[in-house]
Amino acid sequence: MTLISTSTSAFYSRSLMGLQGLRGEAETLQARLSSGRKLAASSDDPVAAARLRQLARSGTLSTIDTANSQRASSDLQLADGALSTFADYIIRAKELAIQAANSTLTPGQRQGIGAEVAAIRQNIIGLANTRDAAGHALFGGEAAGAAYTTDASGNATYIGTAVSGELPLGDGQVVTRSVTGPEFLTFTTPSGPNDLLAVLKTLGDALQSGAPSAGSAANGSLDALSAGLDAVTTAQTVIGSRMAWIELTTQRRTDMGEMRASEEADIGGTDIAATVAQLQQTMTVLEASQASFAKLAQLSLFDVIR
Amino acid sequence: MASDLLSIALSGAKAARTALDVTAQNIANAGTSGYVRRSVSLKEVSGTGGFGSQADVSLSGVRLDRVVRNADLFRQAEVRRTGADAARANAEVSGLENIEAAVEQSRAYPSLVDFDGALQRLAGDPTDPSLRAGVIETARTLVGTFNIAASGLASVGAGLQFDAAAGVSDINTLAGELARVNLRLSRAADASSDQTTLLDQRDNLLQQISTYGDVAAQFSANGTVEVRIGGAAGPLLVQGGTASPLAMTTAANGTISFDVGGAPVSLTGGSIAGKALGLAKLAQVQGDLDAAANSLMTAVNTAQTGGAALDGSAGQPLFSGTGAGGIALAFTDGAGLATAPVVAGAGSRNPANLDALRAALATANPAGRLDALIFDVSSTVSSRKITQSALAAIAGNARISLEAQAGVDLDTEAVNLLRYQQAFQASGKAMQVAGTIFDTLMNLR
Repeated sequence: MTLISTSTSAFYSRSLMGLQGLRGEAETLQARLSSGRKLAASSDDPVAAARLRQLARSGTLSTIDTANSQRASSDLQLADGALSTFADYIIRAKELAIQAANSTLTPGQRQGIGAEVAAIRQNIIGLANTRDAAGHALFGGEAAGAAYTTDASGNATYIGTAVSGELPLGDGQVVTRSVTGPEFLTFTTPSGPNDLLAVLKTLGDALQSGAPSAGSAANGSLDALSAGLDAVTTAQTVIGSRMAWIELTTQRRTDMGEMRASEEADIGGTDIAATVAQLQQTMTVLEASQASFAKLAQLSLFDVIR
Repeated sequence: MASDLLSIALSGAKAARTALDVTAQNIANAGTSGYVRRSVSLKEVSGTGGFGSQADVSLSGVRLDRVVRNADLFRQAEVRRTGADAARANAEVSGLENIEAAVEQSRAYPSLVDFDGALQRLAGDPTDPSLRAGVIETARTLVGTFNIAASGLASVGAGLQFDAAAGVSDINTLAGELARVNLRLSRAADASSDQTTLLDQRDNLLQQISTYGDVAAQFSANGTVEVRIGGAAGPLLVQGGTASPLAMTTAANGTISFDVGGAPVSLTGGSIAGKALGLAKLAQVQGDLDAAANSLMTAVNTAQTGGAALDGSAGQPLFSGTGAGGIALAFTDGAGLATAPVVAGAGSRNPANLDALRAALATANPAGRLDALIFDVSSTVSSRKITQSALAAIAGNARISLEAQAGVDLDTEAVNLLRYQQAFQASGKAMQVAGTIFDTLMNLR
């Protein structure tokens, strides 16, 4: 017959099991507090860990999207600046053409104007060969070298590719990073398709030749120059709207990043206040268990029986 | 036949002394694991009357009937069964946790994401040598992490196999010991202290064997035990004085199986059953990891050979080898990445083939496979952990319940000490009374 329904070793085993459990719990809580993370390994919560992996993946790819969109943005800004200069040159060329169309000018004066037109044309060719941030032709599509070459007689030819490359902005969105030369340097006039560089060459050559027909040639080029200016302005509008699109996706990416961060904190982060409270509770229970264990362990009949 | 007061008192004193010895033995072994509390069973000695002497008073005192070993066969069997389950769960969880760590801590998943990201960055400027070098370096890291994961899994497998082999050899040692105990039990006298000690040893050995593999024990009247491994339908491990050795076979994929003298054993409990389960999961995980590595290689290499490198030459495969352990970089020059279509010519910024490569990667989705693999392993660990804690609690309670019944309670022993001390003193008093009576009779004049 036993006095109480336990043996000494059972009492110690049971106390040990309880104390060990409480200690393990306290240590887990402490680890969460010190690491700031709720999950030490995926197996702590497989679903949350899988979600965290997805979020980390989106985060990594989003950083690259940001880099790509900055690259696209800087290319488009360069293109925008270059197009403004194009417009200035065309306006100047148009002024010169109007001047040259004045029938009171002498052939010598026209020749001077023609020289300036030719210089403007050279500048435009140089500008059309501008490089982007990475050192490639800004208006040459996806070509590796320059966008335009000139032959011995000064005719400019486009040698780039037909379209500009697209840059991924994330979530399947893309933006065309620039415009190709022909997209804004060729245009259609009532007399058919035309090329600004060809128009300027014809005008410059005609004025420089000093021929009597130069005045009417200058007059005839005015429509083409107006159409060229329109083409450049249109291209600028297109680029402006692309930059707005990049801004929109950047804004969206920032919002998504904030959502990701808050979700990550919700799923994987430690709720400090709750964890500290839990730890305090566990510690209280642990201390109480230890105290009661010490008291019970002192209790022995051998001390009482004399 | 008449009674003899002195000899009655002597037998009482002897019995009390024996009971005090047993109590002292109990106190001394209060902390000995596997010790079962003894108690004394006393029996009255008296003569029954013969023909014509029914009315005789013939009392002869008390004798020690037997030393009772307070073992509860059911609770012991429960401790073995639940202990085997808990040991299996512990072994399986620790194996699975190692597998999880090998896959997750290799950081194969993050480096696959980085590789993906480097390709996406390259799309920004396909001819940029630094971006190309970036792709090559992330590919190098990726290959390294796959190799680390594979070798980590291989060493987990080697460790599990080693542990299982050690467990099998432990079982065989213990079974041999148990067979020897059986032999001695069959020769030991009934209720002798020798027998009780042997019975303690027998139960201890059985319990130790059951932590390695689940056993079914059948006890015969003389205390010997017949042990079957792998449950009641399994082959005999110990019968009488013979122990049949358990053997382990390792298959080509690393999984293990057991047999006794050719008869297959299916273990459902014990640590080596847990190791076997861990190895089975490991074989599956290794297969999945290899599949993920192969799908990555196929997607990238196929796209590579469909395009042109920076110098316009035909693209070459980026990865060589097979499986997560064999994957390697085939070239390390970033110029070899085939970003452009074949027709584009040297130095082209046309990213058509890079787009095709990224599309192929998105379709083959090795990152998704890895993610699913990690999820599979970690959710297995998580569910087994729940089972493990439940089984550990059950086994702990079974053990405590056996200890409560079979273990020594010092308070009870203190009371017994008092009780038998008093019985001894009382018997002494009876002797004194016998002496006084004798003196009284002698002093009659």
